[in-house]
Amino acid sequence: MTRLITIHKGLVFTIIMRMTNDYHTSEDLTQDTFIKAFMNIKRVKSGEHFRPWICTIARNVARDYHRRAKNSAAVSFDQVKEFHGHWDDSIRKRVVIQDALAKLAERDRMMLTLTYYQGLTLREVADVMKMTESNVKVCIHRARKRLRKQLEGYENELV
Amino acid sequence: MKMNSCEHVDKVIDYRLHRLTGKQEKEFEAHLESCAVCRQEMAIELAIEGELAVELKPGFIEDRVMVHLRLRREQGLRSLWLYIYRVIVLGLTAAVVTFVLMPFLLKFPLKSFFEISQLASGLDGLLDGLPQVNPIFVAVGFGYVLLIASSIYTLARTRRWQ
Repeated sequence: MTRLITIHKGLVFTIIMRMTNDYHTSEDLTQDTFIKAFMNIKRVKSGEHFRPWICTIARNVARDYHRRAKNSAAVSFDQVKEFHGHWDDSIRKRVVIQDALAKLAERDRMMLTLTYYQGLTLREVADVMKMTESNVKVCIHRARKRLRKQLEGYENELV
Repeated sequence: MKMNSCEHVDKVIDYRLHRLTGKQEKEFEAHLESCAVCRQEMAIELAIEGELAVELKPGFIEDRVMVHLRLRREQGLRSLWLYIYRVIVLGLTAAVVTFVLMPFLLKFPLKSFFEISQLASGLDGLLDGLPQVNPIFVAVGFGYVLLIASSIYTLARTRRWQ
C-alpha cells in the first residue's frame, strides 16, 4: 500500500493542486483520496484500472472540497514561494498559468491536467471524465482555447 | 484582426493537438518558418504544455495515510462489535415484549379498553362480527416487526459511523 501511495501521490496531488490552488489543502485532500481508495480497494477490477480509478476519486474529493469551500482561492505568490523555496522566472510562469487555470471551469481544468500530465492515455482521460475519446479530443481543444484566452496579456511571462 | 497578428495563429493549437490533416500540417510547418507571430504563439503553447505536464509533489504523506487507515479499521471493528451487541440487546427486548409484555397487555387493559369504547359509542356487537385473532399471534408479529425495524435502524447507524 505504501508503495502504491509513493507511485501515485504525485498524480493525485497534481490533480488536486490544479483544482484547489492551495498546497496545504491539496496535501490533506491527497491523503483523503488515498484513504477513500484503500477503504474501497476491492472495487478495482485489476491493476491497470487503479490509475483512472484513483484519478476519479481525486476529482470527486476536489469537487466536494469546492462545494464546501464555494470559492477557489487564487494562488498567492507567497504560497508558491513557500512551496518552491525560491523565486525565479519559471515560478512566475507557473503562477501565471496556475492562475489562468483557476479561472477555467472545473471540467476544463480537469481535462487539461489529465491530458498533459505525462503518462495518461486518452482512454484513461475518457474513463475519468466519463466521456468518449472523440468527445475528450473536442473538449481538450476548447479548453486549450479558453486557457489561451485567459493568458492574453501575459505572453512576456510565458516565453 | 490585431496589428502584428496572423490569420494562421489559431492553427497552432490544432497543430499541437494533431487536428490538421497531413497536407495542412506540412503547409503550416512551412508557414511557421516564415512567420514570427505564429512562432511566438507556438512558443507560448509549448510553455503551457510544459507547465501542465509538470508533476507537483506533495510532502511525505505515506505514514499519515497508513495511520488513518489503521484507525478507520479499528473504528470499523469497534462498530461491528457495537452492532452485534445492539442486535442482541434489541433481540432480547423484542423477545420480552413479544412473550411477556404483549400477552399481558392484550389480556387485561386492552380488553377493558374495547369494552369501554363499545359502550361509549353504542356500537354493540361490532366486535362480534370481526374474525377471531389469537392475541399471541398479534404479539409475536409485533415483536418480529420491532426486531427487524430496530436491526435495520442499528445497521444504518453503524454504517454511517464507519
